[in-house]
Amino acid sequence: MQRPSDETLIAYLDGELDEQETLEVIKALARDERLQAHAERLNASARLIRAAYDEVLRESVPERLIAAARGERGLSAMRRALARLARWRMVLGERPWWIGVPVAASLVGFVIGGGLGYVAGTEQSASLTAQQDLVTAGAGANWLDSITGYHKLFVKAGVNDRALMDVPADATADAAHKAGQLPADFRLPNLKPWSLEFQGARLLMIDGRPASQLFYTTDNKSLGPLTFVEAESSKSDLAPTFDRREDLNILYWRHHGHAYALVGTADIGYLWNIYNDIAWQLDAI
Amino acid sequence: MSASFNDQLVAVLPRLRRFARGLTGSAVEADDLVQAACERALARAHQFQPGTRFDSWMFRIVQTVWIDQLRARETRRTESEDEALGTGTDEPSRRVEARMALREVQAAIAVLPAEQRLALLLVTVEGLSYREAAEVAAVPVGTIMSRLARARMALLAKLGGDALRGSTEDAKAE
Repeated sequence: MQRPSDETLIAYLDGELDEQETLEVIKALARDERLQAHAERLNASARLIRAAYDEVLRESVPERLIAAARGERGLSAMRRALARLARWRMVLGERPWWIGVPVAASLVGFVIGGGLGYVAGTEQSASLTAQQDLVTAGAGANWLDSITGYHKLFVKAGVNDRALMDVPADATADAAHKAGQLPADFRLPNLKPWSLEFQGARLLMIDGRPASQLFYTTDNKSLGPLTFVEAESSKSDLAPTFDRREDLNILYWRHHGHAYALVGTADIGYLWNIYNDIAWQLDAI
Repeated sequence: MSASFNDQLVAVLPRLRRFARGLTGSAVEADDLVQAACERALARAHQFQPGTRFDSWMFRIVQTVWIDQLRARETRRTESEDEALGTGTDEPSRRVEARMALREVQAAIAVLPAEQRLALLLVTVEGLSYREAAEVAAVPVGTIMSRLARARMALLAKLGGDALRGSTEDAKAE
Protein backbone atom coordinates (compact mmCIF):
# COMPACT_ATOMS: atom_id res chain seq x y z
CA MET A 1 0.00 0.00 0.00
CA GLN A 2 1.14 3.53 -0.72
CA ARG A 3 1.25 5.97 2.15
CA PRO A 4 -2.38 6.11 3.30
CA SER A 5 -4.30 9.32 2.71
CA ASP A 6 -5.12 11.59 5.65
CA GLU A 7 -8.71 10.48 5.29
CA THR A 8 -7.73 6.82 5.59
CA LEU A 9 -5.32 7.44 8.45
CA ILE A 10 -7.95 9.34 10.43
CA ALA A 11 -10.51 6.61 9.75
CA TYR A 12 -7.95 4.09 11.03
CA LEU A 13 -7.41 6.09 14.22
CA ASP A 14 -11.18 6.30 14.66
CA GLY A 15 -11.48 2.51 14.29
CA GLU A 16 -13.59 2.83 11.15
CA LEU A 17 -11.60 0.71 8.68
CA ASP A 18 -12.28 -2.92 7.92
CA GLU A 19 -9.78 -5.63 8.81
CA GLN A 20 -7.90 -5.57 5.50
CA GLU A 21 -7.59 -1.78 5.40
CA THR A 22 -6.52 -1.72 9.03
CA LEU A 23 -3.74 -4.20 8.35
CA GLU A 24 -2.52 -2.14 5.43
CA VAL A 25 -2.35 1.02 7.54
CA ILE A 26 -0.55 -0.84 10.32
CA LYS A 27 2.03 -2.04 7.82
CA ALA A 28 2.46 1.46 6.41
CA LEU A 29 2.91 2.84 9.92
CA ALA A 30 5.47 0.18 10.76
CA ARG A 31 7.76 1.22 7.93
CA ASP A 32 7.28 4.99 7.98
CA GLU A 33 8.37 6.95 11.03
CA ARG A 34 7.08 10.23 9.65
CA LEU A 35 3.68 8.67 9.22
CA GLN A 36 3.84 7.45 12.83
CA ALA A 37 4.62 10.98 13.99
CA HIS A 38 1.78 12.33 11.88
CA ALA A 39 -0.61 9.78 13.41
CA GLU A 40 0.54 10.72 16.91
CA ARG A 41 -0.09 14.41 16.19
CA LEU A 42 -3.56 13.53 14.97
CA ASN A 43 -4.19 11.55 18.16
CA ALA A 44 -2.91 14.42 20.27
CA SER A 45 -5.13 16.89 18.46
CA ALA A 46 -8.16 14.61 18.96
CA ARG A 47 -7.48 14.54 22.71
CA LEU A 48 -7.23 18.32 22.70
CA ILE A 49 -10.49 18.68 20.75
CA ARG A 50 -12.32 16.48 23.24
CA ALA A 51 -10.79 18.28 26.21
CA ALA A 52 -11.87 21.63 24.79
CA TYR A 53 -15.51 20.82 25.47
CA ASP A 54 -15.20 18.59 28.54
CA GLU A 55 -15.77 21.49 30.88
CA VAL A 56 -19.33 21.77 29.58
CA LEU A 57 -20.06 18.33 31.02
CA ARG A 58 -18.92 19.48 34.45
CA GLU A 59 -21.20 22.50 34.44
CA SER A 60 -24.54 22.27 36.17
CA VAL A 61 -27.46 22.08 33.78
CA PRO A 62 -29.72 25.14 34.03
CA GLU A 63 -33.07 24.43 35.60
CA ARG A 64 -34.88 25.84 32.59
CA LEU A 65 -33.40 23.05 30.45
CA ILE A 66 -34.37 20.33 32.91
CA ALA A 67 -37.87 21.79 32.99
CA ALA A 68 -37.93 21.89 29.19
CA ALA A 69 -36.82 18.25 29.00
CA ARG A 70 -39.59 17.29 31.40
CA GLY A 71 -42.13 19.30 29.50
CA GLU A 72 -42.58 21.48 32.54
CA ARG A 73 -42.27 25.20 32.91
CA GLY A 74 -41.17 27.43 35.75
CA LEU A 75 -40.54 26.21 39.26
CA SER A 76 -42.85 23.22 39.09
CA ALA A 77 -39.86 21.11 38.08
CA MET A 78 -38.03 22.01 41.26
CA ARG A 79 -41.07 21.27 43.39
CA ARG A 80 -41.50 17.86 41.79
CA ALA A 81 -37.82 17.07 42.23
CA LEU A 82 -38.02 17.94 45.92
CA ALA A 83 -41.10 15.74 46.30
CA ARG A 84 -39.18 12.84 44.73
CA LEU A 85 -36.24 13.64 46.97
CA ALA A 86 -38.41 13.23 50.06
CA ARG A 87 -39.55 9.82 48.82
CA TRP A 88 -35.96 8.71 48.16
CA ARG A 89 -34.91 9.77 51.62
CA MET A 90 -37.48 7.36 53.01
CA VAL A 91 -36.13 4.57 50.82
CA LEU A 92 -32.45 5.22 51.32
CA GLY A 93 -32.29 6.34 54.91
CA GLU A 94 -28.90 7.63 55.99
CA ARG A 95 -26.64 5.50 53.80
CA PRO A 96 -23.50 7.03 52.34
CA TRP A 97 -24.22 8.92 49.17
CA TRP A 98 -22.58 6.48 46.80
CA ILE A 99 -24.83 3.65 47.93
CA GLY A 100 -27.75 5.80 46.89
CA VAL A 101 -26.58 5.67 43.31
CA PRO A 102 -27.14 1.98 42.50
CA VAL A 103 -30.16 1.63 44.73
CA ALA A 104 -31.95 4.55 43.17
CA ALA A 105 -30.80 3.49 39.73
CA SER A 106 -32.46 0.13 40.07
CA LEU A 107 -35.74 1.81 40.87
CA VAL A 108 -36.13 4.63 38.42
CA GLY A 109 -33.31 4.36 35.92
CA PHE A 110 -29.72 5.19 36.55
CA VAL A 111 -29.42 8.78 35.59
CA ILE A 112 -32.23 10.41 37.44
CA GLY A 113 -32.02 7.94 40.29
CA GLY A 114 -28.31 8.48 40.59
CA GLY A 115 -28.73 12.18 40.98
CA LEU A 116 -31.47 11.92 43.57
CA GLY A 117 -29.71 9.17 45.47
CA TYR A 118 -26.75 11.43 45.82
CA VAL A 119 -28.83 14.17 47.32
CA ALA A 120 -30.64 11.76 49.60
CA GLY A 121 -27.40 10.65 51.19
CA THR A 122 -25.97 14.08 51.72
CA GLU A 123 -27.74 17.28 52.54
CA GLN A 124 -31.43 17.86 52.17
CA SER A 125 -30.67 21.32 50.94
CA ALA A 126 -28.39 20.13 48.18
CA SER A 127 -29.38 21.75 44.95
CA LEU A 128 -30.30 20.23 41.64
CA THR A 129 -27.01 21.48 40.30
CA ALA A 130 -25.16 19.11 42.61
CA GLN A 131 -27.24 16.25 41.30
CA GLN A 132 -26.34 17.19 37.78
CA ASP A 133 -22.66 17.08 38.59
CA LEU A 134 -23.04 13.46 39.58
CA VAL A 135 -25.19 12.69 36.57
CA THR A 136 -22.42 14.03 34.40
CA ALA A 137 -19.72 12.17 36.25
CA GLY A 138 -21.58 8.87 36.33
CA ALA A 139 -23.49 8.40 33.14
CA GLY A 140 -23.93 11.48 31.04
CA ALA A 141 -20.60 11.69 29.34
CA ASN A 142 -19.13 9.46 26.73
CA TRP A 143 -18.14 5.86 27.25
CA LEU A 144 -14.67 6.52 28.60
CA ASP A 145 -15.88 9.20 30.98
CA SER A 146 -18.53 6.82 32.27
CA ILE A 147 -16.22 3.89 32.96
CA THR A 148 -13.79 6.25 34.66
CA GLY A 149 -16.60 7.42 36.92
CA TYR A 150 -17.61 3.86 37.76
CA HIS A 151 -14.03 2.93 38.61
CA LYS A 152 -13.80 5.87 41.00
CA LEU A 153 -17.09 4.86 42.57
CA PHE A 154 -15.62 1.45 43.43
CA VAL A 155 -12.39 2.87 44.74
CA LYS A 156 -14.26 5.27 47.00
CA ALA A 157 -16.58 2.55 48.23
CA GLY A 158 -13.88 0.05 49.09
CA VAL A 159 -14.09 -3.71 48.70
CA ASN A 160 -16.02 -4.28 51.90
CA ASP A 161 -19.04 -2.38 50.73
CA ARG A 162 -20.88 -5.20 49.06
CA ALA A 163 -23.93 -3.10 48.31
CA LEU A 164 -22.26 -2.12 45.08
CA MET A 165 -21.71 -5.69 43.89
CA ASP A 166 -24.39 -7.35 41.79
CA VAL A 167 -22.22 -10.47 41.68
CA PRO A 168 -20.00 -10.89 44.74
CA ALA A 169 -16.56 -12.44 44.39
CA ASP A 170 -17.59 -15.60 46.23
CA ALA A 171 -20.40 -16.38 43.78
CA THR A 172 -19.27 -18.87 41.19
CA ALA A 173 -19.56 -17.87 37.56
CA ASP A 174 -21.84 -20.85 36.92
CA ALA A 175 -24.21 -19.83 39.66
CA ALA A 176 -24.20 -16.25 38.47
CA HIS A 177 -24.98 -17.37 34.93
CA LYS A 178 -27.81 -19.56 36.12
CA ALA A 179 -29.25 -16.72 38.14
CA GLY A 180 -29.16 -14.58 35.05
CA GLN A 181 -26.82 -12.16 36.77
CA LEU A 182 -24.23 -12.21 34.02
CA PRO A 183 -24.65 -12.09 30.24
CA ALA A 184 -24.59 -15.56 28.70
CA ASP A 185 -21.41 -14.83 26.75
CA PHE A 186 -19.55 -13.32 29.67
CA ARG A 187 -16.34 -14.86 30.97
CA LEU A 188 -14.33 -13.97 34.02
CA PRO A 189 -10.65 -13.36 33.32
CA ASN A 190 -8.34 -14.85 35.93
CA LEU A 191 -5.82 -12.17 36.85
CA LYS A 192 -4.35 -13.88 39.90
CA PRO A 193 -0.98 -14.27 38.17
CA TRP A 194 -0.85 -10.47 38.34
CA SER A 195 -1.71 -10.57 42.05
CA LEU A 196 -5.08 -9.08 41.14
CA GLU A 197 -7.88 -10.46 43.27
CA PHE A 198 -11.41 -10.40 41.87
CA GLN A 199 -13.70 -8.56 44.31
CA GLY A 200 -17.00 -8.65 42.51
CA ALA A 201 -18.92 -7.52 39.45
CA ARG A 202 -21.53 -4.96 38.76
CA LEU A 203 -23.98 -4.81 35.88
CA LEU A 204 -24.42 -1.44 34.26
CA MET A 205 -25.91 0.39 31.34
CA ILE A 206 -23.30 2.55 29.67
CA ASP A 207 -24.42 4.67 26.74
CA GLY A 208 -27.61 2.63 26.67
CA ARG A 209 -25.87 -0.73 26.33
CA PRO A 210 -25.38 -3.52 28.88
CA ALA A 211 -21.95 -3.63 30.47
CA SER A 212 -20.22 -5.64 33.16
CA GLN A 213 -17.73 -4.00 35.46
CA LEU A 214 -15.28 -6.28 37.25
CA PHE A 215 -13.30 -4.91 40.14
CA TYR A 216 -9.90 -6.23 41.16
CA THR A 217 -7.62 -5.22 43.98
CA THR A 218 -4.02 -6.00 44.81
CA ASP A 219 -1.41 -5.23 47.44
CA ASN A 220 0.83 -4.00 44.66
CA LYS A 221 0.27 -0.26 44.84
CA SER A 222 1.88 0.39 41.48
CA LEU A 223 -0.72 -1.86 39.85
CA GLY A 224 -4.12 -1.55 41.43
CA PRO A 225 -6.96 -1.29 42.06
CA LEU A 226 -8.12 -2.09 38.58
CA THR A 227 -11.45 -2.21 36.76
CA PHE A 228 -12.14 -4.36 33.73
CA VAL A 229 -15.22 -3.43 31.70
CA GLU A 230 -16.88 -5.58 29.09
CA ALA A 231 -19.79 -4.06 27.16
CA GLU A 232 -21.84 -4.68 24.08
CA SER A 233 -20.87 -2.54 21.12
CA SER A 234 -22.13 -2.03 17.61
CA LYS A 235 -18.89 -0.42 16.51
CA SER A 236 -16.23 -2.05 14.38
CA ASP A 237 -13.20 -3.73 15.94
CA LEU A 238 -10.60 -1.40 17.37
CA ALA A 239 -6.99 -2.10 18.21
CA PRO A 240 -5.95 -1.42 21.83
CA THR A 241 -5.91 2.31 22.35
CA PHE A 242 -4.48 4.23 25.26
CA ASP A 243 -6.20 7.24 26.81
CA ARG A 244 -6.26 9.17 30.04
CA ARG A 245 -9.21 10.51 32.00
CA GLU A 246 -8.45 12.71 34.96
CA ASP A 247 -5.68 10.84 36.81
CA LEU A 248 -6.51 7.39 35.43
CA ASN A 249 -5.03 5.36 32.60
CA ILE A 250 -7.36 3.55 30.24
CA LEU A 251 -6.60 0.89 27.67
CA TYR A 252 -9.64 0.07 25.56
CA TRP A 253 -10.39 -2.01 22.51
CA ARG A 254 -13.27 -3.54 20.58
CA HIS A 255 -13.55 -7.10 19.35
CA HIS A 256 -16.43 -8.97 17.73
CA GLY A 257 -19.27 -6.81 19.01
CA HIS A 258 -17.82 -6.15 22.43
CA ALA A 259 -16.01 -3.16 23.86
CA TYR A 260 -13.43 -3.76 26.57
CA ALA A 261 -11.50 -1.44 28.83
CA LEU A 262 -8.97 -1.59 31.63
CA VAL A 263 -9.07 1.38 33.98
CA GLY A 264 -6.74 2.21 36.83
CA THR A 265 -3.66 3.99 37.99
CA ALA A 266 -1.35 1.26 36.66
CA ASP A 267 1.05 2.48 34.04
CA ILE A 268 0.53 1.66 30.40
CA GLY A 269 3.11 -1.14 30.45
CA TYR A 270 1.15 -3.04 33.07
CA LEU A 271 -2.13 -2.40 31.28
CA TRP A 272 -0.70 -3.59 28.00
CA ASN A 273 0.52 -6.87 29.50
CA ILE A 274 -2.78 -7.47 31.28
CA TYR A 275 -4.60 -6.72 28.04
CA ASN A 276 -2.55 -9.41 26.31
CA ASP A 277 -3.41 -11.87 29.05
CA ILE A 278 -7.14 -11.05 28.93
CA ALA A 279 -7.24 -11.13 25.14
CA TRP A 280 -5.58 -14.55 25.20
CA GLN A 281 -7.97 -15.86 27.84
CA LEU A 282 -11.10 -14.57 26.12
CA ASP A 283 -10.04 -15.96 22.76
CA ALA A 284 -8.77 -19.20 24.19
CA ILE A 285 -11.66 -20.20 26.41
CA MET B 1 -45.59 11.35 27.27
CA SER B 2 -43.80 8.49 29.03
CA ALA B 3 -41.62 9.19 32.03
CA SER B 4 -38.79 7.20 30.50
CA PHE B 5 -38.74 9.48 27.48
CA ASN B 6 -38.39 12.52 29.73
CA ASP B 7 -35.75 10.76 31.82
CA GLN B 8 -33.72 9.96 28.72
CA LEU B 9 -33.98 13.55 27.64
CA VAL B 10 -32.78 14.85 31.01
CA ALA B 11 -29.95 12.34 31.02
CA VAL B 12 -28.64 13.44 27.65
CA LEU B 13 -28.79 17.18 28.47
CA PRO B 14 -25.10 17.55 29.41
CA ARG B 15 -24.04 16.08 26.07
CA LEU B 16 -26.59 18.12 24.15
CA ARG B 17 -25.20 21.26 25.79
CA ARG B 18 -21.66 20.24 24.83
CA PHE B 19 -22.72 19.53 21.26
CA ALA B 20 -24.64 22.79 21.02
CA ARG B 21 -21.73 24.74 22.53
CA GLY B 22 -19.52 23.41 19.77
CA LEU B 23 -22.02 24.27 17.08
CA THR B 24 -22.81 27.79 18.24
CA GLY B 25 -19.59 28.80 20.00
CA SER B 26 -21.68 30.54 22.64
CA ALA B 27 -22.92 29.30 26.02
CA VAL B 28 -26.09 31.39 25.90
CA GLU B 29 -26.99 30.46 22.33
CA ALA B 30 -26.18 26.82 23.05
CA ASP B 31 -28.64 26.63 25.95
CA ASP B 32 -31.31 28.40 23.90
CA LEU B 33 -30.69 25.87 21.15
CA VAL B 34 -30.95 22.92 23.54
CA GLN B 35 -34.16 24.29 25.01
CA ALA B 36 -35.69 24.69 21.56
CA ALA B 37 -34.54 21.17 20.65
CA CYS B 38 -36.13 19.73 23.81
CA GLU B 39 -39.41 21.38 22.99
CA ARG B 40 -39.28 20.06 19.44
CA ALA B 41 -38.36 16.57 20.67
CA LEU B 42 -41.31 16.48 23.05
CA ALA B 43 -43.63 17.59 20.28
CA ARG B 44 -42.30 14.79 18.06
CA ALA B 45 -41.74 12.12 20.69
CA HIS B 46 -44.02 9.77 18.77
CA GLN B 47 -41.49 9.78 15.91
CA PHE B 48 -38.72 8.30 18.06
CA GLN B 49 -38.30 4.59 17.41
CA PRO B 50 -37.59 2.58 20.57
CA GLY B 51 -34.48 0.47 20.19
CA THR B 52 -32.64 3.13 18.25
CA ARG B 53 -30.10 5.47 19.79
CA PHE B 54 -31.80 8.25 21.67
CA ASP B 55 -28.71 10.46 21.75
CA SER B 56 -28.30 10.29 17.97
CA TRP B 57 -31.96 11.20 17.51
CA MET B 58 -31.50 14.21 19.77
CA PHE B 59 -28.27 15.29 18.05
CA ARG B 60 -30.20 15.29 14.81
CA ILE B 61 -32.91 17.50 16.26
CA VAL B 62 -30.34 19.91 17.70
CA GLN B 63 -28.57 20.24 14.38
CA THR B 64 -31.88 20.67 12.52
CA VAL B 65 -32.96 23.44 14.87
CA TRP B 66 -29.52 25.01 14.57
CA ILE B 67 -29.70 25.03 10.78
CA ASP B 68 -33.18 26.58 10.99
CA GLN B 69 -31.79 29.29 13.23
CA LEU B 70 -28.82 29.89 10.94
CA ARG B 71 -31.14 30.36 8.05
CA ALA B 72 -33.32 32.75 10.03
CA ARG B 73 -30.56 35.04 11.14
CA GLU B 74 -26.83 35.62 11.21
CA THR B 75 -25.37 34.16 14.38
CA ARG B 76 -23.73 36.75 16.49
CA ARG B 77 -21.26 35.51 18.98
CA THR B 78 -21.12 37.53 22.15
CA GLU B 79 -17.78 38.82 23.21
CA SER B 80 -18.52 38.29 26.87
CA GLU B 81 -17.11 34.77 26.81
CA ASP B 82 -13.77 35.93 25.48
CA GLU B 83 -13.66 38.61 28.14
CA ALA B 84 -14.28 36.01 30.80
CA LEU B 85 -10.99 34.24 30.12
CA GLY B 86 -8.69 33.74 33.05
CA THR B 87 -7.39 37.27 33.34
CA GLY B 88 -7.24 38.90 36.73
CA THR B 89 -7.86 35.69 38.66
CA ASP B 90 -5.87 33.89 41.31
CA GLU B 91 -5.62 30.74 39.22
CA PRO B 92 -2.15 29.24 38.95
CA SER B 93 -0.55 30.36 35.72
CA ARG B 94 -0.27 26.82 34.31
CA ARG B 95 -3.98 26.33 34.74
CA VAL B 96 -4.73 29.61 33.07
CA GLU B 97 -2.45 28.64 30.19
CA ALA B 98 -4.22 25.31 29.84
CA ARG B 99 -7.58 27.05 29.81
CA MET B 100 -6.30 29.46 27.19
CA ALA B 101 -5.08 26.55 25.07
CA LEU B 102 -8.52 24.99 25.17
CA ARG B 103 -10.11 28.33 24.26
CA GLU B 104 -7.74 28.44 21.33
CA VAL B 105 -8.99 25.04 20.21
CA GLN B 106 -12.60 26.14 20.57
CA ALA B 107 -11.86 29.26 18.56
CA ALA B 108 -10.22 27.21 15.82
CA ILE B 109 -13.22 24.89 15.68
CA ALA B 110 -15.63 27.83 15.62
CA VAL B 111 -14.23 29.11 12.32
CA LEU B 112 -14.47 25.78 10.54
CA PRO B 113 -17.17 25.53 7.87
CA ALA B 114 -20.42 24.50 9.54
CA GLU B 115 -20.63 21.08 7.91
CA GLN B 116 -17.06 20.21 8.92
CA ARG B 117 -17.70 21.42 12.46
CA LEU B 118 -20.76 19.21 12.65
CA ALA B 119 -18.84 16.11 11.52
CA LEU B 120 -16.02 16.86 13.96
CA LEU B 121 -18.34 17.33 16.94
CA LEU B 122 -20.36 14.23 16.22
CA VAL B 123 -17.42 11.88 15.69
CA THR B 124 -14.46 13.26 17.63
CA VAL B 125 -16.25 14.87 20.56
CA GLU B 126 -19.43 12.80 20.89
CA GLY B 127 -17.91 9.51 19.79
CA LEU B 128 -20.49 8.54 17.18
CA SER B 129 -19.43 6.10 14.48
CA TYR B 130 -19.17 7.44 10.93
CA ARG B 131 -22.40 5.69 10.06
CA GLU B 132 -24.23 7.16 13.03
CA ALA B 133 -22.87 10.63 12.29
CA ALA B 134 -23.95 10.26 8.66
CA GLU B 135 -27.47 9.46 9.80
CA VAL B 136 -27.58 12.50 12.07
CA ALA B 137 -26.25 14.81 9.36
CA ALA B 138 -28.36 13.09 6.67
CA VAL B 139 -25.40 12.65 4.33
CA PRO B 140 -23.52 9.59 3.00
CA VAL B 141 -20.80 8.01 5.16
CA GLY B 142 -18.16 9.02 2.61
CA THR B 143 -19.17 12.65 2.99
CA ILE B 144 -18.74 12.48 6.77
CA MET B 145 -15.35 10.85 6.25
CA SER B 146 -14.09 13.58 3.94
CA ARG B 147 -15.58 16.46 5.97
CA LEU B 148 -14.05 15.05 9.12
CA ALA B 149 -10.63 14.66 7.49
CA ARG B 150 -10.72 18.24 6.21
CA ALA B 151 -11.69 19.50 9.65
CA ARG B 152 -8.99 17.49 11.42
CA MET B 153 -6.28 18.60 9.00
CA ALA B 154 -7.37 22.23 9.20
CA LEU B 155 -7.18 22.10 13.00
CA LEU B 156 -3.81 20.42 12.89
CA ALA B 157 -2.53 23.24 10.70
CA LYS B 158 -4.11 25.95 12.85
CA LEU B 159 -3.11 24.63 16.23
CA GLY B 160 0.44 23.82 15.23
CA GLY B 161 2.95 22.32 17.57
CA ASP B 162 2.52 24.63 20.55
CA ALA B 163 -1.09 23.81 21.23
CA LEU B 164 -0.51 20.11 20.74
CA ARG B 165 2.37 20.19 23.16
CA GLY B 166 0.11 21.89 25.70
CA SER B 167 -1.03 19.36 28.19
CA THR B 168 -4.64 18.34 28.05
CA GLU B 169 -4.11 16.89 31.49
CA ASP B 170 -3.52 20.36 32.87
CA ALA B 171 -6.85 21.34 31.46
CA LYS B 172 -8.43 18.27 32.99
CA ALA B 173 -7.05 19.28 36.34
CA GLU B 174 -9.14 22.45 36.37
